[in-house]
Amino acid sequence: MTSEIIYKYLSNEASEQEVQQLFEWIEASEENKKQFISLKKTWALTALSGTISREVPVVALQPKNKIRTYFKYAAILVVLFGLGKLAFYFNERTAVSKEVVLELGDGRLEFFTEKNLNTLVNDKGELVARKFPDQIVYFGKVQDEDVLYNTLKIPYGKTFKLKLSDGTLVSLNSGTTLRYPEQFGINGNRNVYLTGEAFFEVAKDKQHPFIVHSDQVEIEVLGTRFNVSAYPEDKTVSSVLVEGSIKMSEKENPLNTVLLKPSQMAIWQNQSKKITTKNVDTSFYEAWTQGELAFNNTPFSTITKIIERTYDVEIINENAVLAKQNFTGSIKISESSVENILDLLKRDTPFNYSIEQKTITIKPIFHN
Amino acid sequence: MNQNNSFELDLFHSFKEGDETAYTFFYDKYFRRIQSFSVQFIYDPDEAENLAQEALLHLWQNKENVESLNGIQAFLFTYAKSKCLNLIRHNKVKDKFKNDLLNHKERELDIEVLNSLQFDTLELTELERIIQESISELPPKTREVFIKKRFENKKNAEIAEEMEVTLKAVEAHMTKALKILKTKLSDYLFLIFILIYNN
Repeated sequence: MTSEIIYKYLSNEASEQEVQQLFEWIEASEENKKQFISLKKTWALTALSGTISREVPVVALQPKNKIRTYFKYAAILVVLFGLGKLAFYFNERTAVSKEVVLELGDGRLEFFTEKNLNTLVNDKGELVARKFPDQIVYFGKVQDEDVLYNTLKIPYGKTFKLKLSDGTLVSLNSGTTLRYPEQFGINGNRNVYLTGEAFFEVAKDKQHPFIVHSDQVEIEVLGTRFNVSAYPEDKTVSSVLVEGSIKMSEKENPLNTVLLKPSQMAIWQNQSKKITTKNVDTSFYEAWTQGELAFNNTPFSTITKIIERTYDVEIINENAVLAKQNFTGSIKISESSVENILDLLKRDTPFNYSIEQKTITIKPIFHN
Repeated sequence: MNQNNSFELDLFHSFKEGDETAYTFFYDKYFRRIQSFSVQFIYDPDEAENLAQEALLHLWQNKENVESLNGIQAFLFTYAKSKCLNLIRHNKVKDKFKNDLLNHKERELDIEVLNSLQFDTLELTELERIIQESISELPPKTREVFIKKRFENKKNAEIAEEMEVTLKAVEAHMTKALKILKTKLSDYLFLIFILIYNN
């Protein structure tokens, strides 16, 4: 049924009612949306073949396996920022709203709720963005002197998507704040300021470098996809490049800089102020954008932090053995509760836990 | 390298030196392809022809920047992609539906599809090969329907009449063709997907 409508839609023969039906189906699940997008992609890409003779099949000569190896080198960039301001962060955290909050250039606050779908107007009354329950889409450009900044705050337990006015797509993870121009200026760099974690798909524009600023480090890109994690409680900034090229530099000392190659991770240490590099499996650093938590030999202490952000809970670990343990695996967030995850970890290294409202206490097994 | 390639390679060198006959060859080869790609996103065949023409003019004007034969296709499709994105973003694509929300949703989806396409030189050559191979491997009837539809832009009813089959049969062939192609391309598309897709 649906596949017939999709085909009708693609060949431009679907009625408005059918399109409505199709779009409802697309919105019903991520899986559906993925399917649709890959079908539309297939359909559009068949244009590449030119007109093929109907009678004579074209014979292919080359071996098949080349794509895979090629794509290993394509890449996404993942960046993790850390800024050791733990105490401050946690004090602040209690005061934070449980809704996604948007602070406009003039200081107005907008809250996002399930039902509030509307448009966003700037101080001159011009339409600058459309709002959806879990997404904002900006458009337009302004003179440089007119650049206004908006700030978006995502609470624990929520994620959000944002399309900036240059077309750059940003996924924001739980507990993240991003400050960005409502509309980018016509000249100059595209600057955004991040605390927390975000995945960027930067729209290509060589004339206007895109720069992600964190407290002590900045990352410059000309157009690529990458993840930035700048949670204040971490003491490092690390970045994994999957595709393209990026440059990580210390703000105070721009000569302290590293140019990343695909599949490399750069790590900035707040204390020593050094940037080191190593090779990594990039898929672990982009999993969250697909609604997954992925761990690769990840220390339990890091895992608890991630669980805290993702599920908006607090975890107290009284189990010293566990704290030193590393885990590997991945979990679909939508299909798992905190209990599911803890039970999974328990199978590997037994421990006890109790949940009281939003606080989870983890104990050694012999304590009861 | 097959014969075609060495023939085109000669043409490519002449093209780089400013030979208009060589340029015309590439123009003829790619015009319809770019149009046929673009129309999937801007929905207006004439606009899509303008876009293809513009892309090819741009190619001529920037011939010194095209470094290889395979680079031509990458250059043209990259141009077409960004042009489509611009048209969509600046609301220059005609509204197809009465319901404005549908228009908006369609644009958002199209932007996502476009953004997920990367026309790198290497990738395109491989992709072109996979697509040609996949189309040629379709069952004969299904292939015929698919080509009439996709490359000759015929309506279902016309195809049904030409092939003396029912309308339902045409639809079934198309659905089947699309499914097969999707499966064949899925390895490839899936890989692009992990790299790009995040919504």
